[in-house]
Amino acid sequence: MTSSIAATIRKRVGAIESMPSIPTIFLPLLELLNLPPDKVKLDEVVKLVSYDNTIAAQCLRVASSPLFGLAKGPESIRGAVLTLGLRKVESILLTCCLGNAFPAKNWALDPTVFWKHSLGCAMVCRSFSEKLGADDPDKAYMAGLLHDLGFVVNCIAFPKEFAAVVASATVEQCSFGDAEMTTMGFTHCETGRALAEKWHLAPDLVQVIAHHHDPEKSESAHALVALVHLSDLLCRMRGMGYGYYEKRKVDLMGDPAWDTLLKTHADLNNIDLARFSFEMDDAVAEVATLVSTIFGGAKAAAG
Amino acid sequence: MTTLSTAVAPAKAGAPIDPVFRQIRDLVYKVCGIFQLDEKLYLMADACERRMKHLNVRTPREYWELLTADASREAELRQLLNEVTIGETCLFRSQPQLDALRKVILPELVLEKSKQIVKRLRIWSAGCSTGEEPYTLAMNLMEESNGMLKGWTIEIQATDLNDRSVETAKAGIYGDYALRSTPELFKRKYFTQLDERRLEVKPEVKKLIAFSRLNLQDDSRMLFMKGMDLIFCCNVLIYFDGPSKAKVINHYYSNLNFGGYFFLGTSESLLNLNEKFRLVHFPGTIAYWKPSLKSGKL
Repeated sequence: MTSSIAATIRKRVGAIESMPSIPTIFLPLLELLNLPPDKVKLDEVVKLVSYDNTIAAQCLRVASSPLFGLAKGPESIRGAVLTLGLRKVESILLTCCLGNAFPAKNWALDPTVFWKHSLGCAMVCRSFSEKLGADDPDKAYMAGLLHDLGFVVNCIAFPKEFAAVVASATVEQCSFGDAEMTTMGFTHCETGRALAEKWHLAPDLVQVIAHHHDPEKSESAHALVALVHLSDLLCRMRGMGYGYYEKRKVDLMGDPAWDTLLKTHADLNNIDLARFSFEMDDAVAEVATLVSTIFGGAKAAAG
Repeated sequence: MTTLSTAVAPAKAGAPIDPVFRQIRDLVYKVCGIFQLDEKLYLMADACERRMKHLNVRTPREYWELLTADASREAELRQLLNEVTIGETCLFRSQPQLDALRKVILPELVLEKSKQIVKRLRIWSAGCSTGEEPYTLAMNLMEESNGMLKGWTIEIQATDLNDRSVETAKAGIYGDYALRSTPELFKRKYFTQLDERRLEVKPEVKKLIAFSRLNLQDDSRMLFMKGMDLIFCCNVLIYFDGPSKAKVINHYYSNLNFGGYFFLGTSESLLNLNEKFRLVHFPGTIAYWKPSLKSGKL
């Protein structure tokens, strides 16, 4: 990337940061998520959420979804934390915040499609991480949710250019990344990274946002970046992609990211990948329901 | 070739389902490799209930015991599979498989084989039942005959264990039900109207396919099916026990050219019975790939 492109991205991303629509509790919540679990106090989270009733209500609706494994939904944030655990509730809260953060008017990308992919990827990352017995499945969830943050930046900061990208990818049936390079000369990985750094997201999340398409270039968090890379590909192959036919073969086991993940997670080769893929089909409908619960406002604004 | 039953009226869709049926779903997957989605679990429950009625078994729990008891499990599982699947299929049954074939696999194979003197694609529809699958493949490949496959010879071997199915397949006559997913364009282009209710496949499609009877467990015959670029074997292996299944899959592996693909039914898995095949994804479908020699990781 040339320095003039980098300067343009920084300038336009600077304007996004000052957007009034970002919920006040969003950035403090992100900070809490960056702390080790034993340093986060339940009361702090409950107090923070009490500032925003809309998000609290959305969070409780989402916590009732079968995808979070509860038979009966919790009635309060405190109750949700007690049954689901603090980390999971934090990730649900952040999901809801994100849904309210960006005015989705006139997006080049159908916001519903975008959120379905992001939320689907978050779910798959968490499930994948649980199957591997990884340390922090909720961190994997956040990484999946935020990995394509750059598309939001593109929609807001580069609306015309990105509209051309979406049109070209749809016609060529290629990935957005390839179309971005051809049309704009940079990708959502760079624009996403610029916003993630502005927001002081955890370094691991920055690596995911910047390198989920070229995990071998990540500077740290190699396993997490590899996990998100593979989950993203799986989502795009199993009905949670960007709403068009992407003409490609995905060979997960032949992908260098597979070997990277295998280095730290020996259980990877024991995963029944076929069954994992079939089970994802069951999640598609539920993810769509969640998206309309959380991001319904975004969809309405887009219309 | 059979297809997962969707013909049963979804009377119980959305109704609460006894968790034992989920256990049975997992057992069927473990033994046969066929997966029933949660949202289609009511079909599994229906199939079990038909068996329970026949056997005079009152509760799903009792039926589970029958399915897992040493004396009865093998025979009962086979009976249950017969209920879960129906011996009927249709043309154009899996659009994601056809899209993968035309949009991704064909360009790849054509590129890889373009340096060969003989431009030939060999495809095997194993367990072709009454011919729906090989005809679907033939018609889709013919669509490329003026483009990607110009100058290429296409050979489709279609085999089934059942003589009568093979005869029906050769005739290539289908009614509305078998043609329910066939696009109008294909009906007009590749069929002639036989009578009010039936269409017949045109001779130019038929001539691409060699139908024959073949027992997949006949090792000597299996050795003669070499040099395939693609093998389709949908919902056939689910009826085989573990060792027979592993043996047939090994034959398929050695019968495929390097770089070739093996397709199962849309919700069917190889259950890691062959470690040399690599599972690959295409939009909406999976396949098993015999990695090409230049792909490195073999």
